[in-house]
Amino acid sequence: MFGGSHGISRLMGQETLKPQNVGVTLKRFAVYFRPYWFILVVAAIILIGATWAQVESPQLIGQMVDCYLTPGAVTALGNSPLAEAGGAASGAVTNCTMESDPAGLSTAERLAGLLKVSLMLVGLYLMTAVLTGATIYLMNWSGQHVLRQMRVDLFNHLHRLSLGFYSKQEAGDLMSRITNDTDTIQQVFNFALVNVVSGALLIIWIAFSMFQTSFIYALVSLSVVPIMIITTLWFSTQARKAFRQTRLEMGSVNAELQESISAVREVQAFSREQENIENFMETNAANRDANIRAVSYTSALAPTLQALGYLALAIVAGIGGVFLLRGQPLFGTVLSLGLVITFLNYVQRFNQPIQQIAVLWTNLQSAVAGGERIFGLMDIQPEVVDNQDAKTVPTIQGRVEFQNVYAAYKEEDSVLNGISFVAEPGQTFAIVGPTGAGKTTLVNLIPRFYDVTGGAILIDGLDIRYGIKESLREQIGIVLQDTFLFSTTVMENIRFGRPDATDEEVIRAAKLAHADPFIERLPDGYETVLGERGSGLSQGQRQLLSIARAALSDPRILILDEATSSVDTRTERLIQKALEGLLENRTSFVIAHRLSTIRNADLLLVMDDGIIIERGRHAELLDKKGFYYDLYMSQFRRSGQSKELGIEGQVLEHMPAAQD
Amino acid sequence: MQTSSVRPRPGGVDRKTLSRATQYLVRYRWQAIIPYIFLLIATLSQLMVPRMLGNIIDAITQGTIANRLVPILNTIPGGFLDQITAEIGITEEQMFYSYENAERILITSAIAILVFALLRGIFAFLQTFTAERNSQSVAFDMRNELFAKIQGLSFSYHDRNQTGQLMIRATDDVEKVRLFIGQGLLLAVGAIILLVGTLVILFSTNVQLTLIALPILPIALVLFMFFGSKMGPMFSSIQKRLDKVNTILQENLAGIKVVKAFTRERNQQKKFKSAADDLMHRQLHVARLFSILFPIVILIASLGQAIVLYFGGRQIINGTLTLGQWQEFSIYLVFLFMPAAQLGMIITQMSQASASSTRIFEILDVENELQDQPDAVTLPEVEGRVKFDGVTFRYFNSGEAVLNDVNIDVKPGETVALLGATGSGKSTIINLLPRFYDPSSGSITIDGYDLRDIKLESLRTQIGIVLQETTLFAGTIRENIAFGKPEASFEDIVAAAKAAAAHVEIMAFPEGYETPVGERGTTLSGGQKQRIAIARALLLDPRILILDDSTSSVDLVTEAQIQEALDELMEGRTSFVIAQRISTVINADQILVLDQGRIVASGNHEILLEESEIYAEIYNSQLIGDIDDEDFGEVEFIGE
Repeated sequence: MFGGSHGISRLMGQETLKPQNVGVTLKRFAVYFRPYWFILVVAAIILIGATWAQVESPQLIGQMVDCYLTPGAVTALGNSPLAEAGGAASGAVTNCTMESDPAGLSTAERLAGLLKVSLMLVGLYLMTAVLTGATIYLMNWSGQHVLRQMRVDLFNHLHRLSLGFYSKQEAGDLMSRITNDTDTIQQVFNFALVNVVSGALLIIWIAFSMFQTSFIYALVSLSVVPIMIITTLWFSTQARKAFRQTRLEMGSVNAELQESISAVREVQAFSREQENIENFMETNAANRDANIRAVSYTSALAPTLQALGYLALAIVAGIGGVFLLRGQPLFGTVLSLGLVITFLNYVQRFNQPIQQIAVLWTNLQSAVAGGERIFGLMDIQPEVVDNQDAKTVPTIQGRVEFQNVYAAYKEEDSVLNGISFVAEPGQTFAIVGPTGAGKTTLVNLIPRFYDVTGGAILIDGLDIRYGIKESLREQIGIVLQDTFLFSTTVMENIRFGRPDATDEEVIRAAKLAHADPFIERLPDGYETVLGERGSGLSQGQRQLLSIARAALSDPRILILDEATSSVDTRTERLIQKALEGLLENRTSFVIAHRLSTIRNADLLLVMDDGIIIERGRHAELLDKKGFYYDLYMSQFRRSGQSKELGIEGQVLEHMPAAQD
Repeated sequence: MQTSSVRPRPGGVDRKTLSRATQYLVRYRWQAIIPYIFLLIATLSQLMVPRMLGNIIDAITQGTIANRLVPILNTIPGGFLDQITAEIGITEEQMFYSYENAERILITSAIAILVFALLRGIFAFLQTFTAERNSQSVAFDMRNELFAKIQGLSFSYHDRNQTGQLMIRATDDVEKVRLFIGQGLLLAVGAIILLVGTLVILFSTNVQLTLIALPILPIALVLFMFFGSKMGPMFSSIQKRLDKVNTILQENLAGIKVVKAFTRERNQQKKFKSAADDLMHRQLHVARLFSILFPIVILIASLGQAIVLYFGGRQIINGTLTLGQWQEFSIYLVFLFMPAAQLGMIITQMSQASASSTRIFEILDVENELQDQPDAVTLPEVEGRVKFDGVTFRYFNSGEAVLNDVNIDVKPGETVALLGATGSGKSTIINLLPRFYDPSSGSITIDGYDLRDIKLESLRTQIGIVLQETTLFAGTIRENIAFGKPEASFEDIVAAAKAAAAHVEIMAFPEGYETPVGERGTTLSGGQKQRIAIARALLLDPRILILDDSTSSVDLVTEAQIQEALDELMEGRTSFVIAQRISTVINADQILVLDQGRIVASGNHEILLEESEIYAEIYNSQLIGDIDDEDFGEVEFIGE
């Protein structure tokens, strides 16, 4: 509103997008606005009132001039027989409509009239202010409610989408798209929409009123407007292009800063300071230059418009004045001083809305494009849905049966090719195989993160496609390799496994997972707030929390993606102990890396290329000297040393085995 | 992004830091002055426009009257003529002048407006452009200085300060200072010129009317200062809630599997909805405030107009003001209101800029405790004898000792295995060697040179480091391997990659060694990164090597390859290894067993196994056998 040039640059510095299908998207928005139609109607009426007041006030000033301020003598002269006798130009030189005989007013009457018009003006100004405020608030109110609803709907929809969707999307990309799109919409609802709508209404109304008063004079006065529009559009297009470049450059500056600061230890260890400083100066200079370039457009826009505005003033006053002086009508319109002043006032009011609309127009476009993408996201159908006749899965005993299961993420590219096995309640199955064998896919099918593309999975005899997802997943516990923690307290993170658990239960689960000792040592114990994604904890600690979480949920079926990365040997042993406790009495599927798990498993499934190529207990498979034997032995190419020392079996204990 | 730093007190302006920040502009000398010259021309041109407009209107009014009166002058009775001239406020001579010249005056004034508009346009553009160029140059200089400073600051400084906070200083804070130095200052000067110029013109035109209009000045100033002081907190309160909404969204996207696995959808949806509600209410709160403040602003501006119109109108009727002056006044009134508003905003901006520059100078003024001594010598080619002599170390030279009276003597080419629980002091020993920290007491020597007496760079270029967590930098794989030795030939790089068992996999990428990696490039697995780190260290061909021999999660074959590469790397160099592998420990020339900052046992495997109970226990528990898990040692907490 009071934007100088940097206000403009800020707006133009934003990401812009062109919508594909404006009509459809606007209809979708309209659906969201429907509950607030009444508010919107009221806002529209108020806006019309506010605009009327703004159009009316220059008219009033014109009346002030023509009725009370043009020296009475002039008017008197114009109408006096004297004038006619003298051969002066005839015809009315006043457009006064408030007084029947402005020439005949006494000074006192003129003063009273002046006061009256001034008070009316104050009334109009007051009306403009109050109504404008009300419009801003009402439009904001409905806009914010709509946006809130869109946010919530989108969030809920994202939860409904299957993992298949997320495997195709980078979480980061999705996140930045969503925040970007909602931000643009937010801005439009905050101020862009109000400004554009009210500005457009004002311009149209003023133009209409001018044309109505005097078509030709209006035409002359507004001759500058097309130039203004073209200039603004050209400058803002150029500026946006240039600002796109500044965003990229600023991104590079940020990336380089981030990298060099977070890895400062490595930089110093390799004595790279000088090179980095030089590189940074280059990036930094590119950023500076891109900014200067972009700003050359925005800093030209405002002065150009201002100059054009003054040009319009000169035209209105100059041409109006010449005709007025000569006493000639302008193509049939009789000019009066008041009229010239009214037009001068009008022209001054044009400048700002034009500039605003030109700048904000692209933001409106971006918002529609953003809306389009958000609606597009909401239109994606989840792949895994509950059947209409799906039943609640009863308490699971733990018999899991795969019947010739096929799975594929993409139709032509199948990942599992006919997997069959039966796990009896309480059994532990270890799954082993090289990267890409399909181990993770297999375990992902059990909680129905994906549905099978062929065959069936039965739990206690029930095809899981006929069980309600939620009732199924509630009974399955999962410990993932990459532990995900939320930025809340340790207590809440463990409680994530079962929201209704008491503090005592949470602590008991933590103890079972051997996480209690380190939690107690945290600054605030269980109430320690974890940083973003659990930063502040070591990998091993995070894994212990994840195990505690699974322990708390007390699942009937347990799925483990073991990991040994970045965990020191002591912690690793601890994790193993914790897992052993967890595995007891549950049907478990373990993507196994640890020998102890492998050795203790009731059955090993050795996978390659989406099929089970060997199955049996550890010792049996080793005896077989097949694929598993090779896989297993590959880590001991240099095992001569260990053999000499006669500690083979023990060394193997902490060696990581195959994993994804 | 959010600043966690303390919000500046409203109006709390530190003149010293601000003037120090201004020095960055002053450096540019005449280039810094140019925008002010342009500003002056642009503002003066702007000031002339209303005057010209007034001239036009006066020419029209008086001309019209003269046009009517002069031709019939003879027929008008003398008394009536006097009455008319008095009412209009002009003399008979002026009337005749108007009669002759009205149109000429009008056209001249219109042309003058055009000329001033042009001048105004051109110089306003030049002023903004040159000011922006200067401010960008200031930001450029500040950022460079910050970057160079941050790069050189010691580890202990970086231990205390988070990346995010340092980033904010180099981005947000620099931007705030730039806006103030480059634009704020200029706008303030421009506003003052416009104010003073307008006041001079107004007072010289009509004192009485000026005095009536004057109160608008302080009102606008105060109003906008209030506006400005509300704005910052308002937006940061919205930002805080927006961050919350985005955090929940972010976590649910990144952790979707966990959410689904534990069927926490409904619970998270509730959480999200309440955050979204909270955000909306905050937005509405701001909208409410804005929809009250904004109308007040326009109201005050337009009430000022109404007052001038009324009192000006009275003067016209009394014949002491012309119509042209009246219109002039109403435009000049805008020239009073706008700069007052600008000044109000700038004052708020100033306190922000002051706080930001304080934060920037805080970094620039940090005394770097690890600097080359003035008489530091270049460390000659290292043989590899390393001695720790009674080394004690405390972080920030206070608190509990992390290392306590540590004595180590390593001969060239020996391998030292460090054993101990997390937090026992292993990594501290490793960090002292390249002089990332200085010991609190005692000394460390390499080939007899005290580390504190030699040039840092000559020390660090001879030490190779491979840690488990490897950061790759934006750039190609080749550049990353050549990180410590940018001038290395491609053959050397390939040779290093081959020795690190990385070559085959690198060649599997379509672009081979030119594959971009880092944040915006191809993502490499932990194992791949680790091997690049090994290649990086190999390329340096260091005499002293520091490494962590644990391997990140990799498959079996790769694991074996990495181990082989590490063994290759250690061959013939003085090596300090944080040992996770049994073979490293067994083959080490010296094993140091650390506990709570002390060396509790040392010697080689055979000796230690016989002589040290602690070693035997660790060997059995950590490296081989089962551990007693109740006796779980110190677990590191990296936070804070």
